[in-house]
Amino acid sequence: MITTEVTFDELATLMKKAAGITVDPQELTQDPDRPFDSFGIDSLGLLGIVGEIENRYSQSLPPDSERCKTPREFLDLVNNTLKAGA
Amino acid sequence: MSGQRPRRAAITGIGVIAPNGLHADAYWKSVREGLFVLDRITREGCENLPLRIGGEVRTFDAEDHIEEPFLVQTDRFSHFAMAAAALALEDAGLSRGEPDDPYSIGVVTAAGSGGGEFGQRELQKLWGQGSKFVGPYQSIAWFYAASTGQISIWSGFKGPCGVVASDEAGGLDALAHAARAVRRGTGAMVVGAAEAPLAPYSMVCQLGYPELSTAEDAERAYLPFTTAARGFTPAEGGAVVVVEEENRAREREAPVRAVVAGHAATFTGASQWERSREGLAHAIRGALDEAGCAPEEIDVVFADALGVPDADRAEALAIADALGAHGRRVPVTAPKTGMGRAYCAAPVLDVAAAVFAMEHGLIPPTPNVFDICHDLDLVMSRARPAELRTALVLSRGLMGSNAALVVRRGSDSAL
Repeated sequence: MITTEVTFDELATLMKKAAGITVDPQELTQDPDRPFDSFGIDSLGLLGIVGEIENRYSQSLPPDSERCKTPREFLDLVNNTLKAGA
Repeated sequence: MSGQRPRRAAITGIGVIAPNGLHADAYWKSVREGLFVLDRITREGCENLPLRIGGEVRTFDAEDHIEEPFLVQTDRFSHFAMAAAALALEDAGLSRGEPDDPYSIGVVTAAGSGGGEFGQRELQKLWGQGSKFVGPYQSIAWFYAASTGQISIWSGFKGPCGVVASDEAGGLDALAHAARAVRRGTGAMVVGAAEAPLAPYSMVCQLGYPELSTAEDAERAYLPFTTAARGFTPAEGGAVVVVEEENRAREREAPVRAVVAGHAATFTGASQWERSREGLAHAIRGALDEAGCAPEEIDVVFADALGVPDADRAEALAIADALGAHGRRVPVTAPKTGMGRAYCAAPVLDVAAAVFAMEHGLIPPTPNVFDICHDLDLVMSRARPAELRTALVLSRGLMGSNAALVVRRGSDSAL
């Protein structure tokens, strides 16, 4: 079984695509608790990322996923959900 | 000293993104020279529509002015509005970000239709792929109020904000709204209009307008006040100005480029062009009255110039009705024949041209119009030198609004 996991690299790509925020994936890896809003991502921006992930992995994320405050919190939620659904 | 003069609404900054110039100075140079830029509409997906000629803003790169996150969230019409706002603030010497008193500056824009291109893209995803493929920014980007909101968020200005949805003449109504806000106590207003009507869905929406020119040849598409008049040519772009309380501007030693002196608006019904004669004349009288301006003081008229015979006749008669004998002598111009009508942005672009005209003592010409059939002194072929203290800008909308705005030269404003 292939376990899919969304990485900080992929999150950085999605932040650029869905919200227009350019961020170095290294930065996310090194400081995963830095809040999204400090990058300029609000809940609408994160909602766009949620939609991209749901479409890409054909799986729904829990309601209010876009309310996650930090990349670590968000990716934990996303990857636990994907793992549970796999 | 501050407080001893009545509060007046001064124009201290101008920002323009137009088919004939991506900066106010470039725009004025093109307008002054009577540059003609109407051309085939080349944007993707528009090739097979029966609207061929337009005033496109080409080589515009929104990223030159606005950070990418704002661009992802917004339609092209807001890109124009935000870029014009950034240029206007720069011209006025006002900074954005975290202003000392964010509540002292407000934002007001006018828009005729909103973000059609963005909306089309997202609706295509909805019906082509499903609701989960529609991005969240569809909720705000299509909306005609988007530009005001985004300029406010981007600039950090939290003063009185508004959106005027009153047809094409809304560009002038927004300026009047801003001037009133300043007279009531707001320090400055970022005000203007921008439109992006040259995209497939937006163009289809316009095809129902009987006033639209569907000419195939750019040179014959938009010829107001002539016997060949056959409608108007749409354009995209925007203009934003900073309207600031005059004493505040003088205290920070910002140049007072002009003063918004008077405005009035009327409504006479959609496509009732004969009736717009009375409505426009009434608006002119109201604007003169508010400005405390005699008809003879008007040194130049920037005409609405719709390019529909009945509408042109009504406008020429309205000028004569409202200005009396002076109406036949006053120079009239319509720079928009060189670039098209950018709906709500058109009269704001005219106000920008009027300010430059007064500063340079030069009435710009009406490009590509050479032989008129109305009793007007229309400035044609080349710019005409003239001492200009007061300009009258006229605008009408396809849905029946009529508006007039009086602007006075800045250097006279200390009197």
